[in-house]
Amino acid sequence: MKEKYYAGFMTERPNWRKARRAFLKDVSVLVTDVLILVSLWWLGSYIWNDLVHQTRDFLSVPWWIMVVSVIELALMWQSFGLSPGMKLLGRRLVDEQNGSWWVSLGRRSLRVLLLHVMPALLLQVILTTRYIPWHDRLLGFRSASAAEIDEIRVPWYRCSSAVAVILLGLAMYLASALFTHVDLVKLFTNASSTSEIWNKIFHPDWSILGLGIRLLIVTLFMAFMATLFGVVVAVPLSFFAARNLAHGIVGRSIYTALRVIMSIIRSIQPFIWAIIFVVWVRTGASAFAGALALFVHSVADLTKLYSERLESIDPGPVEAIRATGAGRLQVILYGVVPQIINPYLSFTIYRWDINVRMATIIGLVGGGGIGQRLLQLTRNWVWDQAIVLMLLIMFAVMVMDYSSSRLRERLN
Amino acid sequence: MKKPKKSKSARRYSLLDRLAVLRPRLSAFMLDWASWGYVVYGVMYLLNKYWYLRYVNFYGRLTLPAWGWPVVILATFELAMLSHAFGQSIGLNLFGLKLLGSEYAPPRMSQRLRRYVALHLKLFLQPLALFGDRPLGMLLHDGERAGCMFQVAKIKDDLPPEKPRKWYLTYRGLCVAGLLGLTFWLGWKITAINLQMLVDRVGKSGHIWHDLVTPSFTYLTESVNERGHLYSITYYMMETIFMAFFATVSGAIVAFPLSFLGARNIMGFNAVGWLIYTLMRTVFNALRSIESILMAVLFAVWVGFGNPFAGALALFFHTIAALGKLYSEQVEAVDPGPLEAIAATGARRWQVVIYGVIPQIIPSYLAFTLYRWDINIRMATVIALVGGGGIGTLLFYFKNEVGRLDDAWNQVGAVIVAIVIIVWILDYISARVREKIG
Repeated sequence: MKEKYYAGFMTERPNWRKARRAFLKDVSVLVTDVLILVSLWWLGSYIWNDLVHQTRDFLSVPWWIMVVSVIELALMWQSFGLSPGMKLLGRRLVDEQNGSWWVSLGRRSLRVLLLHVMPALLLQVILTTRYIPWHDRLLGFRSASAAEIDEIRVPWYRCSSAVAVILLGLAMYLASALFTHVDLVKLFTNASSTSEIWNKIFHPDWSILGLGIRLLIVTLFMAFMATLFGVVVAVPLSFFAARNLAHGIVGRSIYTALRVIMSIIRSIQPFIWAIIFVVWVRTGASAFAGALALFVHSVADLTKLYSERLESIDPGPVEAIRATGAGRLQVILYGVVPQIINPYLSFTIYRWDINVRMATIIGLVGGGGIGQRLLQLTRNWVWDQAIVLMLLIMFAVMVMDYSSSRLRERLN
Repeated sequence: MKKPKKSKSARRYSLLDRLAVLRPRLSAFMLDWASWGYVVYGVMYLLNKYWYLRYVNFYGRLTLPAWGWPVVILATFELAMLSHAFGQSIGLNLFGLKLLGSEYAPPRMSQRLRRYVALHLKLFLQPLALFGDRPLGMLLHDGERAGCMFQVAKIKDDLPPEKPRKWYLTYRGLCVAGLLGLTFWLGWKITAINLQMLVDRVGKSGHIWHDLVTPSFTYLTESVNERGHLYSITYYMMETIFMAFFATVSGAIVAFPLSFLGARNIMGFNAVGWLIYTLMRTVFNALRSIESILMAVLFAVWVGFGNPFAGALALFFHTIAALGKLYSEQVEAVDPGPLEAIAATGARRWQVVIYGVIPQIIPSYLAFTLYRWDINIRMATVIALVGGGGIGTLLFYFKNEVGRLDDAWNQVGAVIVAIVIIVWILDYISARVREKIG
């Protein structure tokens, strides 16, 4: 007969790492719950203030009241039901005593009370191996990952966390409508302010067509040069930014540095780069500045795409070539390059497509090309000529879109 | 009553079949013609630039006498025909065509010459080949003596093995290299790339970089300047996120029903359906090719300059088009099995859509919507340039104050930091959620 141990009895070698991971998991569940509840609270108070008091403010109560009540709410949700954090991060509260839900109600409410006291015994978490905190151990609960228990699957709308998701979605939508000053009445009453524009748009002035085509050519070349130089720089960089090719401390640190820098550059729009480059290279028409801005952004974007592709190459051929005694360069040349050449081409075409789109509008900040003239025309209220340029842009973008998707189809 | 079919069917191939054969050949020729025209344009531009020693404005205005244009058109036409007959031109290669002699052997020189001449003679008779009785794929100048044009995909197995040649020994390789070189040269000149200036002005732009990396967060939280304007990075961050959220959710709500109207496998059952399908796809494509920032120009006039509603509207319309296209492609790619099973139970069309299509597309719809939110956030950070609201309002305000404020670039730096943070957070969340869904 098997000897019975009380829950949490140390029967195997201590595994600190597992315990720490489980503990961190539970902490992050709490943090997620608190974040979701706080954003609900904030959005709710914002909507309330906007609709009732006509003021734009988030908090109408002292902050500590919000913090305390949100934490209380999260603890109760975690004890009595499936909180959104538990659902998202895949944690479940398992009842070890196998009582029905009604039987466990008392223990669950006790758990809420104990949760206020027991976190003081954090040391216990560090010392025990099978991570079961005191409050759970005393009351016969265990927090487990959703993967290791087989539970009855219920449809998502019958979980209590669905309430949070739906509420959060509704609140965010309502708050965003208030935040962006959505005013459908204004949309209709103010429509007359654009009547002149519509009138001009339907009577285009085609005399600007020649100039527009020349500007379009400049724009296309801007995109081409940016892509070309972007590829030239990004291809070698991608080899340093791939995790599976980064060996040693130097390789790892280059990898990390490159990834961080590229991620920063990538999250800044080409427009913002153009602002900087327009000041830097003050040329007459500054197509150069636009091309530079697109180039910088292309390098970052292509390096990310390329290196992600490099990370997912099949290691088989690489190993085979390495086994023949080939050097590092030869391995890359004969093992890696044949695998990546088509995806690289496909990414390049994709990027060229984006660059053409961007080049048509980067002129808005003075980056040259067709966009600069377009903005001038709209500022001077010459909409009948502006619409011709817009049609040209539309044409170019549609042609690029179609041909690039066809080309990529062929490559794949 | 239906007409009885003619028993003596002289024509084995329909007109559509013949058009399908003619189309790649015509496209290949047009592409070659256009590329030669491009070469002439480039050469003219460079001649203007270097030879005439005259200032050519940056658009590269062509100076050509009036009689020059017909000459150029004719000359490029001849060149295109030459490259069609003497070598594997780019157009032929791209559209998968090959000129071959008898027994699929490479054509002899005499055949190539004959073809070049025959192309002249029979050029205008070519449309007649659509109605003739020649075998499919044979146009008037095709034949034993001038070689035949074949679609490579159809005769792939019968082709004799070719000995591989270095790219610089083939006509095609040389053409591509030449075109790339010309494009590079032209691009360098047209975009006025000036590395000298880039290096010379490093010193002058040095203080910008210094200011940008030492951002000043004076306007991080609620702060109002003397003119009563609100300068709070936090506020505008929220505005940006919410603007994009509103546009994405509203756009997704509108695009959801429209996507079924733009799916061929739902609508392509009758003529009206096809009409609606074509209409929806055209609208999606046209609307999608106008960037939201250009639409914002119009909406800023409509609902007020600097109003975030203008930006939200612009993003909203662009989102409808972009999501509509992605969604309807997804609808077209659904697995037909469950659909047929549901249809077999006698369900109506809308029931098939609800119980067969929707469960299949929900995860990818969510992924696309999140992806779109990501893009919209990026766009929302700069849409203020044309009066669309969002954090760009601050960015462009401080950028325009560069001469007047001492720490203008530092403020710009702070706004850029905020933008990076927003984009990172949203990028992370959407990547995590998409990973979970897909």
